[in-house]
Amino acid sequence: MTDRKLNANPYRPIKSTAAYRRLMAAYYLMVKHPSWFGKKIAWITSGGPVEPLYAMGVLPFYPENYGAMCGASRMSSSLCEAAEHQGYSHDLCTYALTDLGSCFTGKGPIGRLPKPDFLVCGNNICATVIKWYEIQARAFGVPLFFLDTPFFHDDLHEHTLRYVEKQMEDYIEFLENRMKRAFPEKRFKKVGSRSFETISLWREILDLAVNRPAPFAAFDAFIHMAPIVTLRGTRWAVRYYQKLKRELEERVQKGVGAFAREEIRLIWDNIPIWYDIRNLSKMLSSNGAVLVADTYTSAWAMEEPHLTQTLDGMARAYATIHLNRGLEYKMEKMVKLVEKFGADGFIMHSNRSCKPYSVGQYDMRREVTRRTGKPGLIIEADHTDSRSYAPQQVERQIGMFLEIIKNKQQGTK
Amino acid sequence: MTGLENSKYFCLDLIPSMDKDHFYHRVLNEFEEISSLQYQETPSRLPENRVPIGFFCPYIPEELLHAAGALPFRLMGSPVKLSHSPAHLPPGCCHFVKSSLESLLRGELDFLKGIVFSQTCDAMQGLSDIWAFQKRSPLLFNFMTPTHLNSETARPFLKAEMERFKKFLETHLGEVTPQNLAQAIRLFNRTREKIGEIYELRRTSPSRIPETHFAHIIRAGYLMDRSRYLELLKELINSLPHGEAREDSLVPLYLAGNMVHSAPYFSLIEEAGARVVSDNLCSGERFLRLMTREDIDPIDALTERYFASFLCPTKHRGARAPIDALLKEAEDSGAKGAVFLFYKYCEPHYFDYPDLKKALEARGIPSLLLEIDDPATSQGQLKIRIQAFVEMLSPL
Ligand code: SF4
Ligand code: SF4
Repeated sequence: MTDRKLNANPYRPIKSTAAYRRLMAAYYLMVKHPSWFGKKIAWITSGGPVEPLYAMGVLPFYPENYGAMCGASRMSSSLCEAAEHQGYSHDLCTYALTDLGSCFTGKGPIGRLPKPDFLVCGNNICATVIKWYEIQARAFGVPLFFLDTPFFHDDLHEHTLRYVEKQMEDYIEFLENRMKRAFPEKRFKKVGSRSFETISLWREILDLAVNRPAPFAAFDAFIHMAPIVTLRGTRWAVRYYQKLKRELEERVQKGVGAFAREEIRLIWDNIPIWYDIRNLSKMLSSNGAVLVADTYTSAWAMEEPHLTQTLDGMARAYATIHLNRGLEYKMEKMVKLVEKFGADGFIMHSNRSCKPYSVGQYDMRREVTRRTGKPGLIIEADHTDSRSYAPQQVERQIGMFLEIIKNKQQGTK
Repeated sequence: MTGLENSKYFCLDLIPSMDKDHFYHRVLNEFEEISSLQYQETPSRLPENRVPIGFFCPYIPEELLHAAGALPFRLMGSPVKLSHSPAHLPPGCCHFVKSSLESLLRGELDFLKGIVFSQTCDAMQGLSDIWAFQKRSPLLFNFMTPTHLNSETARPFLKAEMERFKKFLETHLGEVTPQNLAQAIRLFNRTREKIGEIYELRRTSPSRIPETHFAHIIRAGYLMDRSRYLELLKELINSLPHGEAREDSLVPLYLAGNMVHSAPYFSLIEEAGARVVSDNLCSGERFLRLMTREDIDPIDALTERYFASFLCPTKHRGARAPIDALLKEAEDSGAKGAVFLFYKYCEPHYFDYPDLKKALEARGIPSLLLEIDDPATSQGQLKIRIQAFVEMLSPL
């Protein structure tokens, strides 16, 4: 990439990023030293119901979010290697390997990870997390709560819903036993309504990208999603997203885009390639291409956010999240994103170590193209471990793909 | 029907040993023939009065299928060359998943009238959706086995899944009367008892059923009419050639993993001078744990058994359960070493592996990990590694 080309389409940094950094620094400070704040720590999966934890005053730590951080700061590969050294296979999910590697070595962006008081694992994102959390429960010798949400291929059956609802009750009982106090219903309501507010704000923010030019790119969303994952249900998250939304709305009013030029609009599928975000973003923008929406960050923009306000509602909300649903739903969602955001095409990251996102993508690419008429590209990578990533090949593929879109655009002019 | 089912042969102990040998080999030949059939050769060998329905793992209650008039036909992967599946599956799926889809896309599974998936691992979950999308199987059912198997909350859910499956079968195949179901449960229980006897025999006098014979016997049971299978098992046990007492020259091994009973692996172990005294394969000892109560409501009984003792790495019964179960079995079996035989990319097994290996070592049981990507190409490598391992375990 030549500098001349890059300068031709400068990125407009989001001002709220400074507030974002402060917020996440404060969160990680608490996570790192829970005793300073009189908190107990629960490790929780990204699709786990966090609201009851905040209601109980428990601080959640998200190994997946931490894995993303390790990936973005390019520390993940060596942590994965450390886990492999202990006998873990190279082919396992690299969020898990990163976490295990961090535990074995005490290394990573925040150093040694906080010891959990207990673990909360939900298999609504994948089956991988069960094994991963079993390992950690044994290693730390702490209790594990497991929320089992049967996969939802086509219909959500009544008995499935009852099953998850009943487990929400088990979850509360588990928390009461761990914390040796009653579950505070009133506080839970407050947390639930903040969670509702946060999810709504997040959805409204993501929706702003329907504007042309889009006021931010999906690469921005990848960064700014950390609070929706880790701080959902807190005042901090509400305040932060209010601020971010105001800034982006202003951009929309003034017609300011994330980049000076926006000639091609694209949708992204799967987890970002954390260690190469910056490079890919530059590569795309230099060609006038902007990622305007994606399936990863939109997974937290639930369609029915009000559900997080009651325990029964939460059961439905957590049982029906993106990754817990079948291929037809995922295809339909991709089609909707392409149409809603007026995309010219889509890029799918075939992620070697995350099966729930990646198995089915090949059929999905053909089908989404058939239904929308828009081309799709599949690139091979891994979300956090760069060892088997071939950046030049990916750049070449993207370059060719963008040419196809440009030719198409010229043909229709 | 062959003469073998005739009741006069039930007292084979009274028959001279030459004849016994003859019977044993006749039965064995049938097992071998069936277990070695390619999918293309299967249709001509299927029982005419049953509808063949495919399934992948024992979380599917085969008894329900049998009671509805189906032949539960287990897909166990095949060493097929992958030419169609790479357009649908990423490289990081196990060969079991890839080869099953390959066979479907080649049309080799068109003889199946339906397929049943159960909730196990992420790759299988994805396969179910891709399979449905190809629209080649007239019937497809997802049986959502809960993942939490030490949870009282999961019981009513699994029972409701049993009812939903029963209803599906009744809509598309045939009525499942309480009598039919009770009969099917008895049939599968008796079969498990016989298989249990075979396991026991192999422990006490291994030479009576060599490794490859054993693999054929087990494998055939997932592919043929189950009543006939039980008859043949009885014949086989009664006609077994007499063996000497325990031979200590063969190194006793414990076999763990996700490869189902497949003759080539068993013969490699035999050739190396070892024998499998126990396993936790889901086609083997784990299957024996699916014994179903006959004195309560059949749907309750089918539900209950999965909570009693059945466990595979895709399920959760508490954080220590995988280790405790393995240690107990491996130690009870008297094995001198353990072999882990895993498909490459199988996350559930590979996550458990390092802790299992450590736990075995702490009890003085060394282990060997063998990884299978494409079964057609990995035999030579495996042979050398198994031989070296067995040699290490043999007395100096
Ligand atoms: S397998 Fe995929 S969904 Fe599961 S933890 Fe890893 S990255 Fe997340
Ligand atoms: S459990 Fe393992 S071997 Fe079985 S389908 Fe899943 S990945 Fe493949």
